Amino acid sequence: MIAFALVFMGAAIQGKIGVISILTGQGSGYGEAITNGFKLARDEINAKGAVHIELVIEDSSGKQEQALAAGQKLINSAQVVAILGPTLSTEMKVMGPEANASGVPIMGTSTTAAGITQIGKYVFRNSLPESQAIPASVKKAVKKYNIKKVALFYGNDDVFTKSGFDTMKKVAEDLKLSIVTIETFQKGQSDYKAQLTKIKGLSPDAVFCSALYEEGAVILSQARKMGIKVPFVGGNGFNSPKVIEIAKEAAEGLLVATPWFADRNDPKVKAFVARYEKAYGKKPDQFAAQAYDALYIMAEALQKAGKADREKLRDALAGIRNFDGVLGKFSFDADRDVVMEPNVLIIKDGKFQMFQ
Amino acid sequence: MFAEQLINGITLGSIYAIVALGYTIVFGVLDIINMAHGEIFMFGAFVGMLIATKAHAPLWAAFLGAIAVTAVMGYLLERIALRPLRGRSGGSALAPLISTIGVSILLENTAHKLFGAGNQLFETSFAEIKFEVGPVTVYLVQAAILAIAILLMAGLWLWLYKTRAGKGLRATAENLETAGLLGVDTTKIITATVVVASSMGGVAGVLVGMAFNYINNQMGLSMGLKGLAIIIFGGMGSVAGAVAGGILLGLSETFVVAYGSSGYRDAIAFIAIIVVLLIKPQGLFGQALPETRR
Amino acid sequence: MPFDWLNPYHLQVASFLLINVLLGVSIYITLATGQLSLGNAGFMSIGAYASAILTTLHGIPMPVGILLGSLLAGASGVLVGIPALRLRGVYLAIATLGFGEVVRVVFVNWESLTGGAVGIAAIPQMGREILAALGKSGFSPGTLGLRNNQFISLSVFLILLAATLLSILFFLRLSSSRVGRAYNAIRMDETAAEAAGIDTTYYKVLAFSQGALLSGFAGALFAHTTSYISPADFTYHRAVEILVFAVFGGGEHLLGPVFGAMFLTVVPEALRFVSDYRYIIYGILLVLMMTFRPQGVIDPPLVGRLTRRGTAEGPWRSDSTR
Repeated sequence: MIAFALVFMGAAIQGKIGVISILTGQGSGYGEAITNGFKLARDEINAKGAVHIELVIEDSSGKQEQALAAGQKLINSAQVVAILGPTLSTEMKVMGPEANASGVPIMGTSTTAAGITQIGKYVFRNSLPESQAIPASVKKAVKKYNIKKVALFYGNDDVFTKSGFDTMKKVAEDLKLSIVTIETFQKGQSDYKAQLTKIKGLSPDAVFCSALYEEGAVILSQARKMGIKVPFVGGNGFNSPKVIEIAKEAAEGLLVATPWFADRNDPKVKAFVARYEKAYGKKPDQFAAQAYDALYIMAEALQKAGKADREKLRDALAGIRNFDGVLGKFSFDADRDVVMEPNVLIIKDGKFQMFQ
Repeated sequence: MFAEQLINGITLGSIYAIVALGYTIVFGVLDIINMAHGEIFMFGAFVGMLIATKAHAPLWAAFLGAIAVTAVMGYLLERIALRPLRGRSGGSALAPLISTIGVSILLENTAHKLFGAGNQLFETSFAEIKFEVGPVTVYLVQAAILAIAILLMAGLWLWLYKTRAGKGLRATAENLETAGLLGVDTTKIITATVVVASSMGGVAGVLVGMAFNYINNQMGLSMGLKGLAIIIFGGMGSVAGAVAGGILLGLSETFVVAYGSSGYRDAIAFIAIIVVLLIKPQGLFGQALPETRR
Repeated sequence: MPFDWLNPYHLQVASFLLINVLLGVSIYITLATGQLSLGNAGFMSIGAYASAILTTLHGIPMPVGILLGSLLAGASGVLVGIPALRLRGVYLAIATLGFGEVVRVVFVNWESLTGGAVGIAAIPQMGREILAALGKSGFSPGTLGLRNNQFISLSVFLILLAATLLSILFFLRLSSSRVGRAYNAIRMDETAAEAAGIDTTYYKVLAFSQGALLSGFAGALFAHTTSYISPADFTYHRAVEILVFAVFGGGEHLLGPVFGAMFLTVVPEALRFVSDYRYIIYGILLVLMMTFRPQGVIDPPLVGRLTRRGTAEGPWRSDSTR
């Protein structure tokens, strides 16, 4: 029995993969979902037997220097074959070049700002960038609601929300919409009355908002309370069920574009949702799903590479095409960036549904 | 729009004023800035939230709970982090300041452990009630906040100027040694001051929850910095200054956003104090700085 | 490979430690004249952004960028130091903290110059640049027995070590010079110093600009170590952190902030395994320190004992009542 297990284990490719995640501090909501997704995938993959993955998880607290130190630790002390994460685009901008210079493949599962994979040939991501998601939701919203005038509202002190705003502005201009005002807010703010009163006074047909869920949910809530009834189109930060949890009824009617749709009529998706809910007591959000698929992509690349070798793994990853995951079909493009179809969803009756 | 923004500004300003009052009375008596004040305010908000939203108790219970908890926190702060440092001769005058910074870091991260990160809902039963006064919408909550703020300030003023304890506090603020010689129990006064200041922070916390419906554990830092800016502007140790400064800051922030660029909102507080410090360093209502004040 | 024990992770932590030492010293210099400046995060950001912008957008060579960044920060120090003459004690502290915040908000909003919150990426990194330059002349780290990333981390560490040691030596020498004695006199009793003929205005502003220059220098080095900066790197959190180095380590001797920076950089790293409670412990540590040893860990008597020179004869002497 033991001998069989040894042979079995011996045949499996051993992969030590580092994870840099936000376990404490602001943004730990994302970090928790992502880490859960990894763990679930790891258990399933290891059970299958062809690949055995060991995850080494480090906390960055959302700070670049810590992400960098964590990454160095993983690369040099733990000698991982690849790194998953970090969570934030700002962290990736610091850690990416380091991993690249060290020849370690690094893959972001939640980093959606511009210019990430262009850092170097070891940098990958499977998180649908804002530059692809936002045009999808905006175009559909404009068509359905006959939007002519918009207000733009974004967090100007965070690279992610600023990046999202840049895309929203560009799309609005491309579609020849009239921008009535551009308002900003800062992280940690809980009072948006002044900006929202101004927006209300200008009567836009819609509000495009680029925010993380902590601020976004509150903005929605205060806007609705104030009597702003027009549709809100949100960036990637709004893709979390935490928005519904925090904003409650105010979240109704919010539009987002996301690769993840939990209620999709697909057996693979349903099975994943069920298993995740069983393990963690709640439904998986976009970040959990992307993390889950990411580890599976890593496992597939490991198998292709044949052994836990950083160079070989990088080449195998770069060649991934038409991977079939819970997010649908996925490929890396020539720049190791994402090729995927986004869904446009609307929050209706307290949950995300397809937007027709 | 102007009227609504005005109301927004006054509501915000009243809350700032209450926080600033907490700073100013402690500074007046102890000559130190309590850097943990912002975090105590934040804890008050969370306690209020647990009582009003999670336990669905009435609002007055939330106030009582917040006051009780923050009063205890103030007491502990004074006893553990401030009093032991008072008797010393050597060491920098900055020691109490650093000590309170330590407490603030401790509180901020303990709150994170206890309550989690991100915004939490602070729901009050009458949050939806509003009146139409002509073209302007006023929420009952906003009116309540202003009323409570005024009551609090009036109460503080009465206490400071009409009661013996208050006189003792002012005497201690004037000169610790002399007050002691005159029979004032300065230890008790100092403890009482910190406790009162902290409970005011607690009240402000509940008010913030009522006003914005969302609280998070990062609130203490930004509120703390703004409170500092206000008392510098208004004059450290001056009650009138804290009130005037608070309202003024609330209004300026709101109007800068309404008519200018919302990006510079946070900078206003600091630009204002830099300007004030250069023109009238003792602040609007402060006395001329004696050379010995460091 | 013979140098397998050389771990870039440790070198990384050590590099950030050295930058923190520079920052600790920078706040100490102004403190030596009795002025508490909490604006050093602002000066740090000026140095960092200046060097980053010059090297990424204008192709200026890195050493020149670092030099110019530091000088610009130093000049700002003069601009801040002059109005600061009117302020004392805690007023000065808060005003300088405000200055730091204003600088940060300006950098966040001045998008055409700084890219706003998006920050500046792909800043030339000292180690990688050296590797590339040496590579052109045919050199490879393998000949030294090093892997590429070891070489990169090691070069960064050595450069920072040199910069830090030189700075410390400079300021140690300064302390026993006329300037240092003037600083000390002003700190003890400004009126008396004035009466004794010391140009307090000149020295106070000088101290401010020296502190600002050193912060800017640290900032520029920081930018060329992480290769990406954004306004979020220079918040008041950092200003408070720098303050704590100086006060915890020792506010009365140059080696105080050096020790403070070293200890308080290593401790959170070493406490990674209880990372959840890291900052809580940090906070408690501060309170305990202030209760039991408010002059900081390193004080002149201790330095005297350690160097067996008997009584306090460190730079910037403490209270004469001792």
